[in-house]
Amino acid sequence: MKKYLYIIKTQIIKSMAYEFNVYGNIIMQTIIMITSAYFWRALYTGRSVVDGVDVGSMQIYIIISSVLSVLLITNVERRIGRSVEKGTVATDMMKPISLFGMFLAEDIGSIIALIFQNMLPILLIGSLMIKIPVMADISDLPMFVIAVLESFLINWLIAALFGMTAFTTINNDALIQVKKHLIRLLSGSIIPIWFFPESVSNVLSALPFVYIYQLPLSIYIGRGDRAEMISQMRIQFIWLVILSVLFFYVQRRITRKVMVQGG
Amino acid sequence: MSKLFDTLRHYLDVTGQEIKIAFMTMIEYPSNIVGWLISNPLQFIMGFAIIKFVVESFGEINGWNYGQLAFLYGLSVISHALSMIFFVQGWFMGWFVIEGDFDRYLTRPLGVMYQFFFTNINIFGITDLIPGVIVFIYGCAKSGVQVSFLFMVQVIIMLIGATLIRGGIYIFLGSTSFHTRSAVDFGQYTQEIMDKTTMYPLSMYPESMQFILTYLIPVGWVSFYPVSSLLGIDNGLSGGMTTAFITLAVGLLVMFLAGAYFNLGLKKYESAGN
Amino acid sequence: MIDVKNLNKDYTVKQKGAGLSGALKGLVTRNTEVVHAVKNLSFHIDEGEIVGFIGPNGAGKSTTIKMMSGILTPTSGSVLIGGEDITKHRKEVVRNIGVVFGQRTQLNWDIRLGETFELLKHIYRIKQTDYDKTLDVMNDILGIKELIDKPVRQMSLGQRVKGDLVASMLHSPKVLFLDEPTIGLDVSSKYSLRTFIKEINKVKKTTIVLTTHDLGDIQELCERLIIINHGVMMEDGNLKEITERIAPYKTLVVEYYDEEAPEHDKCEIIAHEGNVARYRFTKSETTAADIIADLSTQKSLKDISIEEAGIDDIIKIAYGS
Repeated sequence: MKKYLYIIKTQIIKSMAYEFNVYGNIIMQTIIMITSAYFWRALYTGRSVVDGVDVGSMQIYIIISSVLSVLLITNVERRIGRSVEKGTVATDMMKPISLFGMFLAEDIGSIIALIFQNMLPILLIGSLMIKIPVMADISDLPMFVIAVLESFLINWLIAALFGMTAFTTINNDALIQVKKHLIRLLSGSIIPIWFFPESVSNVLSALPFVYIYQLPLSIYIGRGDRAEMISQMRIQFIWLVILSVLFFYVQRRITRKVMVQGG
Repeated sequence: MSKLFDTLRHYLDVTGQEIKIAFMTMIEYPSNIVGWLISNPLQFIMGFAIIKFVVESFGEINGWNYGQLAFLYGLSVISHALSMIFFVQGWFMGWFVIEGDFDRYLTRPLGVMYQFFFTNINIFGITDLIPGVIVFIYGCAKSGVQVSFLFMVQVIIMLIGATLIRGGIYIFLGSTSFHTRSAVDFGQYTQEIMDKTTMYPLSMYPESMQFILTYLIPVGWVSFYPVSSLLGIDNGLSGGMTTAFITLAVGLLVMFLAGAYFNLGLKKYESAGN
Repeated sequence: MIDVKNLNKDYTVKQKGAGLSGALKGLVTRNTEVVHAVKNLSFHIDEGEIVGFIGPNGAGKSTTIKMMSGILTPTSGSVLIGGEDITKHRKEVVRNIGVVFGQRTQLNWDIRLGETFELLKHIYRIKQTDYDKTLDVMNDILGIKELIDKPVRQMSLGQRVKGDLVASMLHSPKVLFLDEPTIGLDVSSKYSLRTFIKEINKVKKTTIVLTTHDLGDIQELCERLIIINHGVMMEDGNLKEITERIAPYKTLVVEYYDEEAPEHDKCEIIAHEGNVARYRFTKSETTAADIIADLSTQKSLKDISIEEAGIDDIIKIAYGS
């Protein structure tokens, strides 16, 4: 455990090193957030409630989605790719520390740095320039926190699984892009899937992506009753279990393959 | 004059070689072709479907119907694809700066910016062109425009202008890394902002934002103004060739300014390992 | 051929604190420091010379060579190549130079070597007949034609450096800049590389400027040395002349029959191991014959030999000061 804490700390320091990235990211994310807020305001012109959500809730949805996106940044998929490309994967696996444990620790370290560098500034800017994002029902807070933690894990596991395709195609850049687009467009991060036709949203509800963004965000803005939220959290948990099992299975197979072939 | 012509011929000749090399490199990694052929069209087909869903939920967007939005989206994706082919390296300029990759361009007797973009020409960008053209044709049919020869000439001139605007913005953002010496990749953010501002009508945003996006960061000229003119949507623009040439002029201006900023940055270039 | 006048290069370096608190402070405060990497350097290099730049790491040799080849813009001062300023007329001037940096390559990684050569042929607008002729010459010295169909990523470092050298010579530049060309190479690759440099210097009258840490390179190639430390020129001259000036020593090696070695008031014992003692003396103060005469009155000598000061002595002295 101490080893991992050390990696987390090192990664925090590393992430702090580039001040320009910090300011650049804040500026870009602010532009995106404000554009999105205006986007929804324009769409809602002349309408008060669409699909059970009013424009004010939609503004909060946008702010919290921007904030959440900071927690959902992963680097594990590229780290695996690089390790395979450079041919260091066998020696990396031989180290007295779990390879994926190390990647997870690194991602957590980066995120902790980002909470201060990006998340809090974005939250502040959003509150000042758009709306103070008050939670719809504060008694849902424990549920929200659990949903966010699970969405972090689901997102990380999907990234790691896509990253492991590096062992088959050598250069997995394009597949990482596929993953990025799937999450960007199908998770409700930009446009909630309740605006999609029912058949489409039914299909998407069966996939893990909406449980990354849309579920915690729905809880935050209080869309749907508690029973509905709980049933969705149940599906989120089932996806977490499925992806974990898949992850450990694939990881073991790959480790065996690498150890036999020596990378 | 003949010297200028000769220089142009030289650059075209080298460009031909660079494209040949880009294809040879691409063929070395066949699995990548498949990957991009899935990834890029998927992104835009999904993106386009989402616009359809939004229109179904909210009706017209700021007076633009579905056919007009499809036309706007198609034209925007085509210029995006062209900018991906020629200028995507701007997103990664920081890496080139830190790794000292400009050394090579600086010791060769050609323009540095030309070499930076054309030695790294991204043939895979063609995979973005496919969904763009499909949606554009669909948009032409749905919006009921008359596709004449003159119309096509206008579209082509506008696309050149739009591609230059996008490219200029990427170069501008990338060139900041000469000053900061850090490898930031603003690609995803840039694309997200460009998507929001070029795939939906600009007129839906507040006037202050419209002003900025028309005169300061002229993203409005990438798709909104050209398409308004082509579809005859009234916002004080004259139809016909005028708007096409304004778009091209804006593109050339943005590219010129971005090039000047790039050259300024190049003077601060420090190579690697100092 | 090359005129360097009052060349200066400053870098602005960001100061970073240590640890987490230092990293946090770095976000809000901005401590910068100006480092003078190269200070007021002036020299002239004639056509056909081979000049070696030496100095410890961080001395400013790479910075100098990068300014001379147009990669870095000098803070002040100028570099003229063939009478033209490289900063002002980069595109024209670089036609006359070739550059090889040992640690990096200008070759296209994924495709056969010949494609990079083809591209360079187009970039420099080399006539087919000249191109063929140059390639023949290169083949005679380096055997490059065996490598021409091989993808660069499958090459050994030695082969890759050969490819880079040929690539930099295709347009027959008047000046060739080499930054640590032999770094990491095996003995036989080093040998063929040095042969190549000597050959093109002889046959094509190419002026060659190189930086190196390799004593063999200096010994074999450099008629003239420029020693730089802390961005300042320490020495400029030919090897022998510099040796005479900064290391006017000889070393007398004496072997006795036992382990005891007597002192001598005009020299210093720089090493004493077993029965062998090394006496260093300054040539102007005394001679080996005198010392031998003095010593032999005190003890009987088994064997003697005399060593001249070598390059390593010069480097030690120059770097130390």
